[in-house]
Amino acid sequence: MSELLLEARHVTRRFPAPGGKELVACNDINLKFYKGKTLGLVGESGCGKSTFMRFLVWLDTPSEGKIIYRGKDITRLKGRELHDMRQHIQMVFQDPATSFNPKMKIRDIVCEPLLNYGRIKRSEKNAKARELLAMVELPGEFADRFPHNMSGGQRQRVAIARALALEPEIIVMDEATSALDVSVQETVIELITKLQREKNITIGFICHNLGFIQSFSHQIAVMYLGNIVEVMPGDKLAEVCCHPYSKALLNAVFDTKMDFSKKIEPIKGEPPSPLDLPTGCPFQDRCDRCMALCREKRPTLTEIEPDHEVACHLFAKEGDA
Amino acid sequence: MALLEIKNIDVSYGRRATVQGCSIELEQGQICSVVGESGSGKTTVIRAVLGLLPGGGRVSAGDIVYDGRSLLTLSKREWRALRGHDISMIFQDSGAMMNQTRLIGKSFVEYIRTHESVSKQDAWKKGAEMLGRMRLPDPDRIMRSYPFQLSGGMRQRVGIAMGMTYQPKLLLADEPTSALDVTTQAQIVRQMMELRDEYGTSIIVVTHDIGVAAYMANVVVVMKDGHIEDKGSREYILNESTNAYTRKLIGAVPSLGGKRYV
Repeated sequence: MSELLLEARHVTRRFPAPGGKELVACNDINLKFYKGKTLGLVGESGCGKSTFMRFLVWLDTPSEGKIIYRGKDITRLKGRELHDMRQHIQMVFQDPATSFNPKMKIRDIVCEPLLNYGRIKRSEKNAKARELLAMVELPGEFADRFPHNMSGGQRQRVAIARALALEPEIIVMDEATSALDVSVQETVIELITKLQREKNITIGFICHNLGFIQSFSHQIAVMYLGNIVEVMPGDKLAEVCCHPYSKALLNAVFDTKMDFSKKIEPIKGEPPSPLDLPTGCPFQDRCDRCMALCREKRPTLTEIEPDHEVACHLFAKEGDA
Repeated sequence: MALLEIKNIDVSYGRRATVQGCSIELEQGQICSVVGESGSGKTTVIRAVLGLLPGGGRVSAGDIVYDGRSLLTLSKREWRALRGHDISMIFQDSGAMMNQTRLIGKSFVEYIRTHESVSKQDAWKKGAEMLGRMRLPDPDRIMRSYPFQLSGGMRQRVGIAMGMTYQPKLLLADEPTSALDVTTQAQIVRQMMELRDEYGTSIIVVTHDIGVAAYMANVVVVMKDGHIEDKGSREYILNESTNAYTRKLIGAVPSLGGKRYV
């Protein structure tokens, strides 16, 4: 893999809950982001994937742990330093319709970050807006439009242009294509991967569809109830994926090339409440290969082959179980 | 004879026909998927079947025949007897379609008492039994919950349970799994297929997820800009159809071991 750009070490986030309880949204997360590569984070709703990604853009602060970027723990930054650091990590949100100010024109939306950091003068705004729109393959006339005059796919392109305006090193995309039609989703992904190649950007992509995310991720992390259960290379997902939960997610993907005569076997039930997690493995009650050990001891993330880590007692090596 | 025949209908809002020349036939026990991009008119078509077009919308040409009788000339009273009894509908988020300030049980009881004259207690029992049959854990607790207290998947199953109370011959599902997680989606899809196998219910499912559409359906209808672009058996649509739009739509579906962008 290429150069290590950002590393999350033992990141934990606890939220206070009623009755003196604690909700652990992220439990001891260790992830590495590499230069110019995409890390896909997959999991069901409420598993803590967005909570984690929000740390990277300072929308929240972890309770414990560090996020190291350019040799600094970015979670503790303040003032001037934080302001300067923000331009290197940008975000694209799920619903482009609600992440823009409806009263601002597209020109102002895409140029606001640049003006904020004094990178351009007000007089250069028009030219720059057209340049940014051209980058995301939209006509320059769109600069005069308002967000509500555009389709969902076009708005998401504008959101990408805004995130890229400051030429960041990392972009976090929180379900950036979930609100779009499949055909539009395809063109947006083509655009994102093209821009990634040109500008060597690192992407953190949140998604809940394993089938979709494997088509453009270099690394895939599967998250369940605040824990990372498996990290694997994206190009060999179908062959190497071995955690029972990842497999269940994979089996739940509906595909036009699947065997239609096969009965789908969805995993039973729903995730338990994160407020009273069982001791041991969080997946124990839904796992069909649950053992006695799984109910006692929580498995830790262990490397089973290069670039492939699993947190499951089934795959633990002798001695470290 | 087909259970439902949509014969060449136009649906208009004002003077303009937004859906034009749409025909779908459905046999007993068949599942038909309607796929297309947003705004292609797929929801409008199934809403027309249940006479639920939003204000100003009407079927301006063609006919919809259910079980040998035209649905377009029904009186209000006849609609009330038919809806929820012979034809049911599942919405994208069934929980959001219920009154948020009433217990699920109360809504369920009201629904049952619209169709049969039973006591509230018996209706409550029937509702709980129905939830149990749809394999919802702890039906009594669910009856005593408000819609917002349940997870998305549970609410959707409650919606299906309500819709299935009178074992309708035709079930219309409008994006039943779009708001759900992939794992819950798989559970709901399986449950709907079981309805067909157990009760012989015919289902029309509207979805933009072509994977789900293909898995469930005997017949797939592709809609674009208010008209039917392509129609045929699942095998035909997936493998044989030469329609450019169908090919483009299917090509856009991400698939395992398929196209990679990096």
